[in-house]
Amino acid sequence: MSPVIEALELTRNFPSRSGWVGAKRDVWALRGINLSISRGETVGVVGESGCGKSTLGNILLGLDSPTGGGVRFEGKYLHDFKGAHRRQMRKRMQLVFQDPFGSLDPRRSVGAQIADGLRNHDVVPAAEIPAEVARLLTLVGLAPSVAPRRPSQFSGGQRQRIAIARALAPRPDFIVADEPVSALDVSIQAQIVNLLADLREELDLAMLFISHDLHVVRHLCTRVVVMYLGRIVEEGPAEQIFTAPRHPYTQALLAATPSLKRPAGETGKVLDGELPSPANPPSGCAFRTRCALATGDCASAVPPLETVGPERRTACFHADLTAGQGGLQ
Amino acid sequence: MLRYVALRVLIALVLVWLVSTLVFLVLHLVPGDPAELLLSAGNTAPDPEAVAQLRSQMGLDRPVLAQYAAYIADLTHLDFGVSLRDQNPIAPELALRLPRTLELILAAAVIASLIGVPLGTLAAMRDGGWSEKLVSLLASAALSTPVFVVGTTLVLVFAQWLGWISAGGYVPLAEDPLRHLSLLAMPAVTIALPLTAVMIRMTRASVLEVLEKDHVRTARAKGLARGPIIRRHVVRNALVPVITVLGLEMGTLIGGTVLVEYVFNWPGLSGYLVRAVEARDYPEVVGIVLVISFLFVLLNLLIDITYAVLDPRVKLAK
Amino acid sequence: MTRAQRSLYIWLGLAAVLIAFPLLAPVLPLQPTIGMDIPHRFAGPSAANWLGNDEYGRDVLSRIIWGARASLAVAFGSAFCAAVIGTILGLLGGYFRGITEVLAVRSTEIVICLPPLLLAMLVITILGAGVLTLTVALTILFVPNYTRVVYAATLQTGGLDFVKAQEAMGTHPLKILARTVLPNIVPPLLVQFSLTVASGILLESGLSFLGLGVVPPAPSWGLMIRAARAAMDQQPLLLLWPSLALAGTVLLLNVICDRLQDVLSPKTAARGGAAWLRRQIKRTPDAPAPEVPLLKIEDLSVGVALEQGSMGLTKGIAFEVKPGETMALVGESGSGKTLTGLAMTGLLPNALSVTGGHAWFRTEAGVVDLAALTEEEFGPLRGNDISMVFQDAAAALNPVHRIGDQLAEIIQCHRPMPKQQAEAEVVELLRKVGIPDPERRIRAYPFELSGGQRQRAMIAMAVANAPKLLIADEPTTALDPTIQAQILRLFAKLKEDNPGMGVIFVTHNLAVVKEIATHVSVMYAGQVVEQGTVEEVFADPRHPYTKALLASVPESDAERLESIPGTVPQPGAMPEGCRFAPRCGHAAAACAAPQPLLDTGEGRTTRCLRWADLWKDVA
Repeated sequence: MSPVIEALELTRNFPSRSGWVGAKRDVWALRGINLSISRGETVGVVGESGCGKSTLGNILLGLDSPTGGGVRFEGKYLHDFKGAHRRQMRKRMQLVFQDPFGSLDPRRSVGAQIADGLRNHDVVPAAEIPAEVARLLTLVGLAPSVAPRRPSQFSGGQRQRIAIARALAPRPDFIVADEPVSALDVSIQAQIVNLLADLREELDLAMLFISHDLHVVRHLCTRVVVMYLGRIVEEGPAEQIFTAPRHPYTQALLAATPSLKRPAGETGKVLDGELPSPANPPSGCAFRTRCALATGDCASAVPPLETVGPERRTACFHADLTAGQGGLQ
Repeated sequence: MLRYVALRVLIALVLVWLVSTLVFLVLHLVPGDPAELLLSAGNTAPDPEAVAQLRSQMGLDRPVLAQYAAYIADLTHLDFGVSLRDQNPIAPELALRLPRTLELILAAAVIASLIGVPLGTLAAMRDGGWSEKLVSLLASAALSTPVFVVGTTLVLVFAQWLGWISAGGYVPLAEDPLRHLSLLAMPAVTIALPLTAVMIRMTRASVLEVLEKDHVRTARAKGLARGPIIRRHVVRNALVPVITVLGLEMGTLIGGTVLVEYVFNWPGLSGYLVRAVEARDYPEVVGIVLVISFLFVLLNLLIDITYAVLDPRVKLAK
Repeated sequence: MTRAQRSLYIWLGLAAVLIAFPLLAPVLPLQPTIGMDIPHRFAGPSAANWLGNDEYGRDVLSRIIWGARASLAVAFGSAFCAAVIGTILGLLGGYFRGITEVLAVRSTEIVICLPPLLLAMLVITILGAGVLTLTVALTILFVPNYTRVVYAATLQTGGLDFVKAQEAMGTHPLKILARTVLPNIVPPLLVQFSLTVASGILLESGLSFLGLGVVPPAPSWGLMIRAARAAMDQQPLLLLWPSLALAGTVLLLNVICDRLQDVLSPKTAARGGAAWLRRQIKRTPDAPAPEVPLLKIEDLSVGVALEQGSMGLTKGIAFEVKPGETMALVGESGSGKTLTGLAMTGLLPNALSVTGGHAWFRTEAGVVDLAALTEEEFGPLRGNDISMVFQDAAAALNPVHRIGDQLAEIIQCHRPMPKQQAEAEVVELLRKVGIPDPERRIRAYPFELSGGQRQRAMIAMAVANAPKLLIADEPTTALDPTIQAQILRLFAKLKEDNPGMGVIFVTHNLAVVKEIATHVSVMYAGQVVEQGTVEEVFADPRHPYTKALLASVPESDAERLESIPGTVPQPGAMPEGCRFAPRCGHAAAACAAPQPLLDTGEGRTTRCLRWADLWKDVA
């Protein structure tokens, strides 16, 4: 099946200066990202803050422009579209935000906000807009009668449902969900995760699911990419990544994640040190400063993302040593 | 820190240049012939000969770029040209009067800070109490009364009715220090009054905001007594925005000196300015406006540096 | 309508009445403002001339009303023109950034370098005095203020998610500006408008007072004060009337501006500022102190004081912490777990207070009731016997003091010692919590440390005086997984070093509870619903909420996650009986009555009436 959206050698750097006269340094947010997502597939992006996962989402949606490389949507490069054409493209891809309190305009009714997407792209004739808004609200599990209310009258979980309805309004083919459940309580989180899983099935969507909660990603996603300091370090089917990780960083991340299933008193290996500054990343493999397996090779060259199994890729010179270690039950 | 100061100085110099350019542009962007405008009064057309003479005297007959180059070149030598009225050079007069205005401004700023910050802190700590209401009411009243009304009232009460101090005037400090200070008191207090009100309001708002901050809760969680918490963790942090406001208010403060110097016959820059504007003596006005603007930029530079001393984050930001 | 709104409308109404006079001046039966009446020079107030006559014998009242027209025309005219221009510049500069930003915003900042009155005088020099010139000059003056305010508000609004959502939806940028951004910047714009009008009136009167504004014989307040000043020894009242009119008008505008701010951006802070600074009424313990090993909380309730009275937030909290135990308080937002932690140290937010119950705590001097201590009495305990670690270390550390000083402060506060000695101890502490290069790090400011290091410094502060009880409020929630693991390990190490220390660990993460705690209290809607050792509670939950919460963690192999239907009830709308009953699949008629915490044996408790029916096999 041909992918809906593809990232090709995406690079994004943010120029930064220390002071007006200071040395100019680039902060590398993304480096050489290749990724493709097909219909019905949910790709999870995991990594710690500063790894570039949100930047990746923004660029795939065309809300930010890459410094190098390009994004192809159904085979056509996004950067070939400008102005009104670009806005036309936007109906095909939508975004769900992390903060359910900031993502809705407090001054307008939720119905009007859902209708914006319908009006912008003439999805349905003007007369049918109220009916379509009602349909979308029902789809996300809310009563159609709530349309005239302001966002302040809803709880966090309900707002996230409304935000999802708004994203679905233009009938997109591709959705980026940027930490959509991390601001919600556990019991509400489960409701939203279930809703997203249902929608993916029903609407045959391609989805990029950005999250730092590995358990949620494992539950929801079909495929996972692990990012560290702007690069993909590991990629593969979700179940395999979690049960048989190959990159030392993935293994460390899994070990660091508290689990209910882990026997009491047993803690995983704790990774030392902190994320290096993206403005001044280590040479070669960015993870080598915290990696137990690091050797001289790791400092001199960036390990390429190599195939280590069916649909499995990892970027580690020592991937032969890591098989069979780590992983969640 | 040194680099921060150097950078601020550089920015200040650029600002001085931009302000000078703006002042130059004001004359040249106004629709109509500047010389004609300056000489016109009411609806009578000015004498063409006088216009031509003024044009050549102000160099308006030369190309604009040449005028601009000469203007900037003169400024770098602190040469502000000669007055249209009496042909006297303007720079020496400015040099004589500038320190007097500066003295007023500094005296007012000191008075306002010494009264405003403690009263504002008190008002915040007693928020909702009668002392806060009284302080806030006084501050609102002080902020709403124009300086020239306050000044005139002070003259009426203390000079005319009570006869305690003379209505105005100036004696150099070296000549008679006591009399100098007694003459300084009323104008300084007059300028300080609205500034004090601003400081009180700003300090109150800022302290109230800091009191809500998590780090104050941390200070309490440490077991510190009320005094150290207020001094080290509240007022110290609250001063940062207050200083910023002081910088923004500097313009109003300097504007206030114009009126106050006029009311009290204080021979600073401003009385000079009023007479120059009345006579529509363009070179004089430009000279005074420029000097005061430079002063303004300088004071803001000092505030920027104070700011950096108070808040370590500032040095690294931007 | 809130109190603030009512107040605003009253002041606006007053302003409307006052503005009506000058607006209606041409039709009011006023005496002429021009023309002389020499016999009545300086006459005092009379039936014909209510405010008396001026130096030319003209009626003062009618001159004040007519004079207001000049001031208001100049002030409102320039404020309005500047608002329109400034808003457009600020919107464009703030939204499109780049070159538009430089042209629209940076350029106006140069005007700000010119003191307002001076710029006006410069323009007057060239154009001559008069109402129109003044309006033009003030418009130029005010544009930068509006531009700045609108620019800042636009930048702020433009960065918000709901604006980004509009972009993602393909809405035209100008439509986004008009429909989404503009309504959200109206509040600061309105405030700026009222400020500018007041400032305009002041500037106009000031210039007129100098003789550079309105041209006589047209009436203007500034001119009237100028004339009265010359004659103040003859008739001081002449000074009073225009001064009153002027100051009164400006005061009115300033008050309206304040009220506007109150209405448009209501402060979340309760009126009255910091409650801990006020005199506190001491609650006298109504029970004799029992013998407790470390901490025993009995029936503790926290409530918030509202205008309508007090509203309960937590009710009947009870648990015990023995030396060496780690008690986890776990629950969702609104469960009251953080409030319980804060109540132990008397650090509840303003307007919140302990409304009942006891928190018995053993100190050197005997057992005290933490629920009844005043701010002063807490002083020696805090940071010494009981200490706290907060969730957001970036906010909890004072940004303007060095890390070392902030740590030395807590040491010297409870154990007076010379600065050098305290500093040496700080270095040792930082080393203990795993901050590399502590000798240099003590000179760092909080913003120079990473998130993980800041939390380490926060923890160092908490253990500086070897507390008996450490309360940690979500200390790892804001951290990345690998850093969270490091901090959890640090807590474990500190407990090994100080085995007698009791810990209360507040978190929403069940897996973290499993990792760090020995005992757990599960909280829901302000109550403890279940209690016991972590091992037993997690293996065999005896409350439907605990069971549902454990099932909703996405770690099962089930295709669908177990979700709890509905939402947590709001404080003030709590169910009468079992607070979980409306969301509970096992609710029965008896659940409609308030539920006590039932002892289920082996040191475990549950607030479920039906626990025995539901889990017969385990009971």
